[in-house]
Amino acid sequence: MTDKAIEDNAAWSRRLTRAWVLLVALTLVSLGAVLGFGATEAGIAAAAVALAASFYKARLVLDHFLDLRRAEGGWRGVFAAMLAVILGGLMATYVAAGMMG
Amino acid sequence: MTDATDIPAEARADWGALSQLPGNPIMWVLIISELLVFGAFFLAFGVARLFDPATFHSGQALLDVRMGGLNTLILVTSGWMAAKAVQARVGQAVPQSRRWLAGAMALGCAFLVVKGMEYADKLALGHTLESDTFFTLFYLMTGFHALHVVMGLAVLAIVGWKNSVENMETGAAFWHMVDLIWLILFPIVYLVR
Repeated sequence: MTDKAIEDNAAWSRRLTRAWVLLVALTLVSLGAVLGFGATEAGIAAAAVALAASFYKARLVLDHFLDLRRAEGGWRGVFAAMLAVILGGLMATYVAAGMMG
Repeated sequence: MTDATDIPAEARADWGALSQLPGNPIMWVLIISELLVFGAFFLAFGVARLFDPATFHSGQALLDVRMGGLNTLILVTSGWMAAKAVQARVGQAVPQSRRWLAGAMALGCAFLVVKGMEYADKLALGHTLESDTFFTLFYLMTGFHALHVVMGLAVLAIVGWKNSVENMETGAAFWHMVDLIWLILFPIVYLVR
């Protein structure tokens, strides 16, 4: 029996809607962090909030919309690592640019 | 998505580790490839910004964060609707599934309209593909993504027509991949400044 068979329709609906609400909330948090720090320069704290929110949003889409939560093996870790390299790399270049400037 | 265990062992035996992923392995190959290509693009953007922060700072200051935010809300809502379309189709509710899919596609079109308005605004101010490194990367990255949105709309239209469960899942997965790329692109280009 698959997880999908175990999960009833109402639970499936709730899970998808919860993921969507979190996606909207995290988008608003990152917008608030950046706009709250001024429209021209976000600052390291706002950049960190925006990139961390992006990491969690990407994982929500992977886990709930693409159903990666049901993947066997270490696939969730592989995708988390890819996102961490991309978003962490961007954070590193942002911090380095601040130190050089 | 259909569980990997729903697919007969002989049909997925050749996919190796990809067989452990839910749904169509080919779609996962595409998702991983797109993440790697866009990921390289994003890191190149960060490195280019490191060597010319003034150009990137002035370019990013011209972007409307609210327009980018609006498009993010549009795309995540569209993704949710695509997921609801799959859920409805799995539950045999075909008309309802098509309505969710139509909603997802309408929001995909709204995303392109907002993006078009943004491009028109920047072009009217004289910021073209050749203005500077920032705008070259801005147009290439967002344009390449917008092209994926157009392709995604075509895919959703096709699977809405030929709407077997497998087709719906595969088409929606493509759409979620487009959503996923934007969720990374948006903070990098618009927010981290």
